[in-house]
Amino acid sequence: MHGAIPTRSFAGLLVLVALGLVLPRVLPEYFLYLGNTLMMYAILALGLDLLLGWSGQFAFAHIAFFAIGIYASALLQMRLGIPFILGVPLAAALAGVVGLLIAIPATRLRTVYLALATYAFAECAQWVLRTWDSLTKGADGLRFAPPDIFGYVVDTDRRAFPLMALILALVLLAFLYLTRSRLGRALAAIRDSEHVAATCGIDVKRTKVIAFVLSAVLAGIAGGTYTLYQSFVTPDSVGLAQLVLVLTMVVVGGSGSIGGVLVGVVLIGLLPEVLRAAPRGLLVWQEFFYGLILVVATMFMPRGLWGVAEKLRAGARPAGKSEPAAGLRQTVP
Amino acid sequence: MSAILSIENLSVRFGGLVAVNDFSMEVEEGSVHALIGPNGAGKSTIFNAISRFVRPSDGSITFDGRPVLPLAAHDLVAAGIGRTFQNTELLHRMTVLENVLVGLDRRIPGYMPFGPSRQRSRAEVQAVRDAEEILDQAGLRPYRDALAGELDFGRQKLLDLARALAGAPRLLLLDEPAAGLRNREISFVDALLVDLARRRKLTIVLVEHVMQLVMSVADRITVVNFGQKIAEGSPADVRNDARVIEAYLGSAAHA
Repeated sequence: MHGAIPTRSFAGLLVLVALGLVLPRVLPEYFLYLGNTLMMYAILALGLDLLLGWSGQFAFAHIAFFAIGIYASALLQMRLGIPFILGVPLAAALAGVVGLLIAIPATRLRTVYLALATYAFAECAQWVLRTWDSLTKGADGLRFAPPDIFGYVVDTDRRAFPLMALILALVLLAFLYLTRSRLGRALAAIRDSEHVAATCGIDVKRTKVIAFVLSAVLAGIAGGTYTLYQSFVTPDSVGLAQLVLVLTMVVVGGSGSIGGVLVGVVLIGLLPEVLRAAPRGLLVWQEFFYGLILVVATMFMPRGLWGVAEKLRAGARPAGKSEPAAGLRQTVP
Repeated sequence: MSAILSIENLSVRFGGLVAVNDFSMEVEEGSVHALIGPNGAGKSTIFNAISRFVRPSDGSITFDGRPVLPLAAHDLVAAGIGRTFQNTELLHRMTVLENVLVGLDRRIPGYMPFGPSRQRSRAEVQAVRDAEEILDQAGLRPYRDALAGELDFGRQKLLDLARALAGAPRLLLLDEPAAGLRNREISFVDALLVDLARRRKLTIVLVEHVMQLVMSVADRITVVNFGQKIAEGSPADVRNDARVIEAYLGSAAHA
């Protein structure tokens, strides 16, 4: 949470961009669709984790900001002819502004009250999408044309894949910078103890609002990338089931760590594929499995698979826990 | 001889409960001033009022000629007031170094990650260097990259103090720095406090139950019970005060 970004992280981002260019030439369309879905979820989950894992706020309006990202990107293009490359930043900015409006009252709340209030907002947003027929086509869903980026028409998963990889790499780069900056430290400090953070001069309320807005912007970007490889959205695509899915990814993988979230996205994102390959009939149990995994993870792995892995690694090295305090023995400075 | 911190007629109420009642206290600059009293006497509430975590219903607090109550909690470190916490409230999921870096937070310019980066990273490098120096002084350097939550209790106390010192306070509020420590560790804290006050001219207000420490380091002691001041004076005065003996030992002392 301090210092320069390690070289291997930069290398990882370059590998991601390179895979984005190479894989579309070798993989079948279906695998590319899976890849696009996972990359979209990665952006969405990282945004959620900025609130949950980094600043310790149990806020669930995330799915609504995701919806704003999807509908705004699509509608800006359909209604106003604003191209994708401008539409997505605008949609993300709109999500950020709505995020700011929600954050100001929401950051006064804590724990279960914050969770309930923000989830209620997400339900309201879904209701608006369902009832505002003239704009959103209501419950029937909105069909939108493939984005056109300077003549590069993104009408297949094969064509979307390199762009998804590039956008995810940029988001990861921003996330790496953010979490290693003074702001990232302030967020983590607030998560661990608001009293200590305030005592150290950190404006707790302001920092929470910043986290809320950045999280909403990431959800907006995730919504924008959705329009790259999908052509249809309904209010049900942005409901409770989606929220639980993203939450499961974050919690199972390990909140508060980029690697953990990415692991969670891949494992949980591929679960339906595993169930599909398993004996017939297991796929209908999908939602049940998400719930079960979420329960088991929260009970036995509070910091997810990443936390378990870290604990195993820490077991190998001495943590300086057992011997008496050497610092207390030495002479006064 | 001038008071750097003065608390005047402070009252704090939680609903119907009067936690602090018309409490006044003056703290001399450069002194170690202990605040003692039985559990629940209101000592921590007085600290929390100075730290701006609780809102007093009445009274005023002045530090270095400036009123404290109009400030927000996060403004205090810039005003020169630092504190530690009774139950070693640490940033337990952050490393030892990061705890001190957060303590240095106000000295690092810039908030956004994409600012004028060369200047920011220079400030960041300097901050890490400063933090390491503070860890050296506290004897915590070997645990630089350990998680704060993994340290043993004594080192957690020390880290809490190191974090507070990183803010370069002129007034340090210490909430039970010796609680739960072993004898050898208490004498270290004892020497450390004397050093901070005498050599670095820090003013220290100390809430503490370990009388061995209080009697050894305090220049002046204020005794509270039921939210009110019941005695004040030098350690020798307070030790022999009948009301203090009663507050601590109950009426059995008279029997």
